This record gives sequence, structure tokens and C-alpha cells, in this order.
Amino acid sequence: MSLTRYGYRNAINGFFEFPTENARRILPRGIEPVEPHHGSSVLAVTVFHFHESEVGEYGEVVYAILTPPRVEDGRLPQGAFFPWQVATTSKASREHAIERWHLPHWMDDVGVDFEPSNEGRSLTARVEAEGSLALEMTITDHSWNEVSHLYQSFQQDDEGRYMCNILFEGEKSEHEEETGRIKLHEHPFNRDIEISEVFEQPFREMWMRDGHQLFDPLRTL
Amino acid sequence: MEPAHNKAGAKPGFEEYDYSNFYYGAGDDPLNLLTPFARWWRDAVPNGYYLYQEALEDAPTTHVRVRNGKTKQVQDLLNLASYNYLGISYRPEVKQAAIEAVEKYGLGASGSPILSGTFGIHERFAEELAAFKGKEATIIFPTGYSANVGFISALMRSGDTVFLDQYSHASIVDGAILAKSKTVFFRHNNPLDLERKMARVKGKKLVVVEGVYSMDGDVCTLPEILEVTKRHGARMLIDEAHSTFLFGPNGRGVAEHYGLDKEVDFHLGTFSKSLGGQGGFVCGSQDLIDYVVAFSRSRFFSCNLSPVLVAGLRAGLQIASEEPELRAKLWSNVAFLRRRFEEEGVDIGKSNSQVMPVMVNNDAKVFAVAEKIQDRGLFLNPVTYPAVPKHKSRLRISVSAAHSEEDLEKAVGIIAGVLREEDICR
Repeated sequence: MSLTRYGYRNAINGFFEFPTENARRILPRGIEPVEPHHGSSVLAVTVFHFHESEVGEYGEVVYAILTPPRVEDGRLPQGAFFPWQVATTSKASREHAIERWHLPHWMDDVGVDFEPSNEGRSLTARVEAEGSLALEMTITDHSWNEVSHLYQSFQQDDEGRYMCNILFEGEKSEHEEETGRIKLHEHPFNRDIEISEVFEQPFREMWMRDGHQLFDPLRTL
Repeated sequence: MEPAHNKAGAKPGFEEYDYSNFYYGAGDDPLNLLTPFARWWRDAVPNGYYLYQEALEDAPTTHVRVRNGKTKQVQDLLNLASYNYLGISYRPEVKQAAIEAVEKYGLGASGSPILSGTFGIHERFAEELAAFKGKEATIIFPTGYSANVGFISALMRSGDTVFLDQYSHASIVDGAILAKSKTVFFRHNNPLDLERKMARVKGKKLVVVEGVYSMDGDVCTLPEILEVTKRHGARMLIDEAHSTFLFGPNGRGVAEHYGLDKEVDFHLGTFSKSLGGQGGFVCGSQDLIDYVVAFSRSRFFSCNLSPVLVAGLRAGLQIASEEPELRAKLWSNVAFLRRRFEEEGVDIGKSNSQVMPVMVNNDAKVFAVAEKIQDRGLFLNPVTYPAVPKHKSRLRISVSAAHSEEDLEKAVGIIAGVLREEDICR
């Protein structure tokens, strides 16, 4: 069985509460959102700086909704998500992800920029699309631990429904101090999100560095 | 190559999971989470989860005999875990009232309160409680949980909006769910966030707050939140589960403490905290209570409180009303403990009540800390994620008027000693 590996320098992620009505408008029939509070689902925003992959170095931003993992024999995943918009900084990485993982993409290159601050204890990612800023997200750190966490990703396109196991290995900081922040700009990139309904502070922040993602081959459901 | 999800060396330990991982699971079998949960639970119990649901062998006084969940040996422990804030549940007059009631009524009510389950003693207790709270009428529920669920769902409907503090008790959240109302959570004790969220909402609105929040022990910022509530034409329910009989000049609760007793629309409380019994209540106008009696399904479709329990609660209410010195002693104990914790460098977060979280702030260590503390003679419960945010794990203290300063000094010594050994305080 061949695994696909993506090495990253940094990956920052925020979990933001947003209305379940909004989540349901995005999710396909048959996939339910996870609700941390009744009526609130989770918008998971992740920005990666991949430095090692089959398609070289690139940046990527993923908008996803947390969903229940599929329970199977073996290891229970830490969580699962349905990515509904992915954007990358290069055509090669975009075509690779569409072909191999059936991930829905923003079809132009985007700009992804990382800026550390607070003596390296926070990291801000800025994503630019069509010449203007679409997203700014700052994530702060906490205690760092070596982790090996399994997640599941669900995808759907005109050809079918898919699932993939993804193992994250590397250093990870995770906390719920509500010290991070997101600014979603009025921009076509954010057209599916009711921006005013997204609480700007993440209730959970994750920062992964110097690690990799290992993807099992895609499974058709 | 081995698949990623079975990769050698990647098997997680029990500490990689918590209850939240076993709530959602997609698939075709409703039982599909049982096996992974059982696998985790077998490791989790001996590693700390045994500290939950340990059995007490006698009354929840200031000292208890507890059967250790790991060793199964009974330990004599100083008790700072039980509510019983006024030390009332085991008072001789309370026990005697219950004994006399069991002789008269037998064990239970044997019926729903709206059919055959209401006795004269229920009516007298409701009247006495209304008088204590300075309201026209009271409705009694079998538990505090059913009081919130029953009251909120009796009043609110689909299309209405319930605004909840993010740290609301599960019974408040479940009440809003049962009402099928839209629920909107505002940041804890944050009137600015409530303002932002209320500004966008039309129609019937209910704001629910708690007098004292049970995990942090902080008091509601009632004046500011009430001002926002009223400005937006909403009604307010205050859940005084942890504050009735304790706060305010007459012990009516946090609303009375702020002088806002009349401004708050609905007042809810329980008998399990300060009185050490069981049950819940809502009080207000007679018209309100008549309406809630008609539409609170959690009461309608439950057996009424046992008359035996009600007899004990009446005696407890009388003690709470006639002995204000109990409240004074409780607040003196709270002040003593706060001062001693401060001197010892023990972090109790934002607590300004008799509920004090001893902050461990380390999810990996909290069970080891709790185990050491119990082994040294103190009964306390650990609280960890998902009941509180990640890295905000703690031990929860309930101070009682029945504790002596010697009891509290002993508790401080044990807690501070263990926290120092674990490098959690200076």
C-alpha cells in the first residue's frame, strides 16, 4: 500500500463556531456536522506551509466543517472533517490534489504568507486571492508535544463520495485560551460563509510544526 | 507499507482520548462506539477515571467514608466535594422530619403532581418557599435538571430565541433544545457579546444566566447583562442553583444580592445544593406558575417528589430562614480559605463564591494530583476536558458552613503540598 507524504514546516488551525444552518447549506446530504453547542457547528480553517511533497513546496488553505468520524475496526480517529474549499499557491499542487483526493478547489493560485510575532509564540497567516486579502488568521501557542493523530477526510464530487485516513505526526500545540483571531474579508473566496455569524476568536487553536501528513489511498464510499 | 491508520508506533494511549471522542461516530450500527469506548475505558479507569462515581458509605458531612474506586478500600476522608453548603441535610431536625413523614406517607408520592401525586405537604412547602423568595407562587420539580428543562420548554417555542451563557449548565441547554427554539450562546459573563448577538434577533427572546457558575465559581455579571436584556425587550431567567439560600440579605440569591430581585423575570433554584436534598423550583407570579404547571412536560410526566423528602426540605428551609448565622459562617469560611490559598500560591481562578476551582491547568497531571490528594485524606473531584476547556483542568471545592477552620487548614495543607510536589504552585 503506498502512502502519500506531505512534510510541513507550519500548519495552523482554528476551530470557529458558526451556525449549523450555515454548515448544512455547505454539507452534502448524508453528512452531519459535529455540534459543540446545540445549533453551533465548527468551521475549521487550516493554513499549511508544505516544504516536501510530490509537487514541491507550496502553501495551502483549507476550509472544512467538522463531521463525525466513521467508526471502523482499528484505531479511532481524533476527528473528521469535510473540506469544501481548498486553495493552493501553485497549479501543480492544485491539480495533484484534485486528481488524487477529489478535493474541491479555488481554481486560481492564491498567495499564502506567514508572519511570526510575539517572539515566535504566535503565527499569522494571510491568504490573498484575486489580488485582495481574503483571510487573516492568528494562532497562538501553548505547550508543545510530539503527537501522532489520526483524522478522516470526507470528499464528494460529481463522480462519487470518498474517504481518506490522514495521520498527522510531529510537534503540536493545542489549547482553548481564546487568544487567536480570524478576520474573514468580504471576498468571493468566503462566499459560502455568513461572516457576521462567525465568532472571530477560535474556541480551539492548533499549531503543528516540523511534521508531516501521511495519506492512505483514497477510498470510494 | 502499513496503512497510516495502523502505522507501527502510532498506537495512542488512553490520554489521547476523552469522553468527547466517543460521542459522534458515523456508520450503520448504533452500537459502533461501544467497542472503541470499552477499549479506552479499560485503560482510563485505573489511570484516573476511577475517581469519578466513588461510593460514599455514610452521610455527606464534613467527613465521609469513601470506597476507593481503584483499591476498593474504604477511606476516611475530609469532605470538600459535597454541596450541602449550609450543612443542613444531616441536621437532627431534618432527619426527624423525614422519619415522621415516612411513618405517615410511606416511601413515595405514587403519582404525577397533576394527578394523584400532590399531597398537602407539597402545597405547604410551595407556599413557604414562595414566601421565602418574596414571590406569589412556586412550582416544584423532581430535580434541578427537570426544573430548567421543564420551565424553558414550557415557555419558549420553535421560532423563539434562547440566549445562553457559553458555560450554561446542561439542563439549561437541554431545555432550549426541547423547546425547539433557536439557541444563541454568548461568551461567558460578557454583556458586550450578548449585545452583539441580540441586536440581530427579532421575536420572543429569553436570556438565561446562572447566579453562580458551577465550574468556575464566579458570580454572574447580572446588572450589565440584565441591562442588555431589557433594552432588547427580552425576558430573563436566573438559575440560582448554587446561590439560593446563600446570597443576598435574606438569602434569596444573587438577584437579591444585586438588588435586582424584582427586575429579573424568572427565578429558579434547587434543593440539592444549599439544603443538601433534591429537587428544583421556579417562582414568580401566580399566572406564570399556573401556565408552567400546564406546560412543563418534565414535571407533568414525572412522579412528584417524595413527601419524605419534602418533609426534610421544609425543615431545611426553616433552618435556612431562621439561622442567618449559617450564611455568615459560610462566608467566613470562604474568606478564610481564599486568604490561605492566596498565601500558599494556590490558583482558584475567578471564583468569588463558595465554589472554588483549584486550578491544575494540566490535563495530563490532574488525575495524579487528585489521587495523591485523596490518598492524603481529602475528598475532592477532578474536573477535566470536556467539562472544562482543554488545559483548564481543576479540582472543585465546595465550602460548607459546617467546616471548621481546622478542616479548612488541613485541606490547604494537603492541596498546597501536592501542588508543590507536582510543580503546579510555588
